[in-house]
Amino acid sequence: MGQDTFQITVNCIKLVLVFLMMVQAVPILVWLERRGSAFIQNRLGPNRVGPLGLMQLLADAVKFLTKEEFFPAGGVKFLYYAAPVAALVPATLAFAAIPMSAPVHIDPFEMFGKNWGPYTFFWQGFEINVGIVYILGVSSLGAYSILMAGWGSGNKYSLLGALRASAQIISYELALGLSIVGIILLYGTFNLGEMIAAQQGLLHFQFLGHTVESTWLPNWGIFYQPLAAVIFFAATFAESNRLPFDLAEGEAELVAGFHVEYGGFKMLLFFIGEYGHMMVAAGLMTTFFFGGWSIPGVSYESVYQWAQGAAATNSGASLLAGLIHFLVWTVKFAIFLWIFIQVRWTLPRFRYDQLMDLGWKTMLPWALGNTIITAIVLLIAHS
Amino acid sequence: MSTDAILFWILAFMTVSSALTVVLITNPIYCALSLALTMVGVSALFVTLNAYFLAGVQMIVYAGAVLVLFVMVLMLFDLKHELQAFTRGKMTGALKLASIGLLAGLIAGAILMSNGILLTKSEAFTSPDMASDTTKQLGHLIFSQYLFGFEALGVLLMVVAVGAVALSRSKGGTHAKS
Amino acid sequence: MPLGGILFIAVFVILFGCLMLFLASKAGKRVYDPVKFEAYECGIPAQEKKDTKISVKFYLTAILFIIFDIEIIFMYPWATTFRDFIQSGQGLFVLTSMFIFLLVFIYGLFWEVKSKALEWD
Repeated sequence: MGQDTFQITVNCIKLVLVFLMMVQAVPILVWLERRGSAFIQNRLGPNRVGPLGLMQLLADAVKFLTKEEFFPAGGVKFLYYAAPVAALVPATLAFAAIPMSAPVHIDPFEMFGKNWGPYTFFWQGFEINVGIVYILGVSSLGAYSILMAGWGSGNKYSLLGALRASAQIISYELALGLSIVGIILLYGTFNLGEMIAAQQGLLHFQFLGHTVESTWLPNWGIFYQPLAAVIFFAATFAESNRLPFDLAEGEAELVAGFHVEYGGFKMLLFFIGEYGHMMVAAGLMTTFFFGGWSIPGVSYESVYQWAQGAAATNSGASLLAGLIHFLVWTVKFAIFLWIFIQVRWTLPRFRYDQLMDLGWKTMLPWALGNTIITAIVLLIAHS
Repeated sequence: MSTDAILFWILAFMTVSSALTVVLITNPIYCALSLALTMVGVSALFVTLNAYFLAGVQMIVYAGAVLVLFVMVLMLFDLKHELQAFTRGKMTGALKLASIGLLAGLIAGAILMSNGILLTKSEAFTSPDMASDTTKQLGHLIFSQYLFGFEALGVLLMVVAVGAVALSRSKGGTHAKS
Repeated sequence: MPLGGILFIAVFVILFGCLMLFLASKAGKRVYDPVKFEAYECGIPAQEKKDTKISVKFYLTAILFIIFDIEIIFMYPWATTFRDFIQSGQGLFVLTSMFIFLLVFIYGLFWEVKSKALEWD
């Protein structure tokens, strides 16, 4: 693909780092979830192991590792063991395509007695031209791991939970896909990097000959597509099987849904998959509606110029600017993850018919209306 | 061999072997799952041809929707019964022979017809502007040359939806309504 | 498109998952007990699996999903090119033809809601 050894090595390391970042975020999120739920329910939560209960993460990992290996008698061995591994793949592949910071430009340099040409590295697993379509396609594979787990466990509750979960996931994928049409109309591209580039600067647009300019609001997608943002965010809750849409594991009727028969590390792999879907959702929310890695009110160029003063070389400045933007992205990303947790401990669970009604009869028509209105407004504004 | 060629061979091997698994394995669930893998492989092959949007559609529609339905349906059958129905009997034997003949004919025909194409260089098929943005080109084509087909497709899909609903509420079976 | 990268990380993740499963299978102690391996059924003996009757609604949902999914997919190329069409003065024409397509879509959805195909009782 026209890449040399250095580029391939860096890209592979980058991919592994993105994956490790995703895996590492899971225990932190679990800790945050337990502490956060305790905070919301006015109790203490885990606080004995280490400062603030932070070592609880390690203790949990050790506990998971030393749990007894277990295979249910009525199960199908291959599917039972393949399902947790398959749960990891879609979330990782989708997460690797989310841009986390500005691209880093590396000037030519010399190493091992050879000249290495100028490089551009994207601060993400891989840069994909049809980003949204790719992420939608990959994350739609998530239903397989659930179905495999449900059927492979040889348990009635697992099977019912898996069916419910997959029916729910595919129902909300419609609203999700349709709300994205409005976003694509707005930016005119599938590329996530270009979307972020389009959200730079202050809010400004032209409508019926008037030019509207804001003095302080950033040019974020949320101001153009508020309805799409709400529908998209709600649909991602359903996609990642989180409360209030966690009918797949309604404890009262299904014990724990498709992972009734799973325990220990296998359970943990499902957890990583679920939290991975959450992270993809939070990353997409920041990218689509909240300017991605851009800092509101501060342009990339000014950050880069400041970094040039702080770092010795242009490559270093580019790297430093990328790091700063990465931190900003992390803050936005973390806010959405916190909203996921907050909602989980605030809202009660839906009933199954309410869930399906909401997906098909409420969110789908609203997303459709949003698409139509966006198209009409675009036509009026640009012609 | 260039990296592109290595990638192509890996993907081709993956796609063909999972497609073979679909035919050779008797357990329908594994068949459906490896058919899903085949679809993923085909979509990856589309990517090597720069047809990004088509690859995405292949993933979303086939791997993500159609085969999920297949797997869902298969998981609720009494599989042992189905297994016997498919592997025994004179009728099945005759069908097998017929399909082998058909497949052999297809392969022979494909090789004969592509004889000229395989020998020419691949540059003839990918012009530089085709590699740039196939999605936009597709959009332009849909709304100029193939507009009628596009609208007819909408109607066709609705007919399919109506048919599915009608079938699901037909009388008889365990789920008949009134 | 970085196909190599995608393949690399997919293989890496699968290997990682297998390694985790392997480690977990070695680390934990095992105590055998025949009751433990029965399907979890809240304490009563497990019913047979093939007795499970599944509502046809699940299939119906899946089929309707496929149909609407295809319709939505067809809106994507329209959405990317719509600005180009407006620029070249064809905006109204393209919007109208999309609306005809959407009208069929909306009618289908409306019909399904009205015929109670989407009711879960």
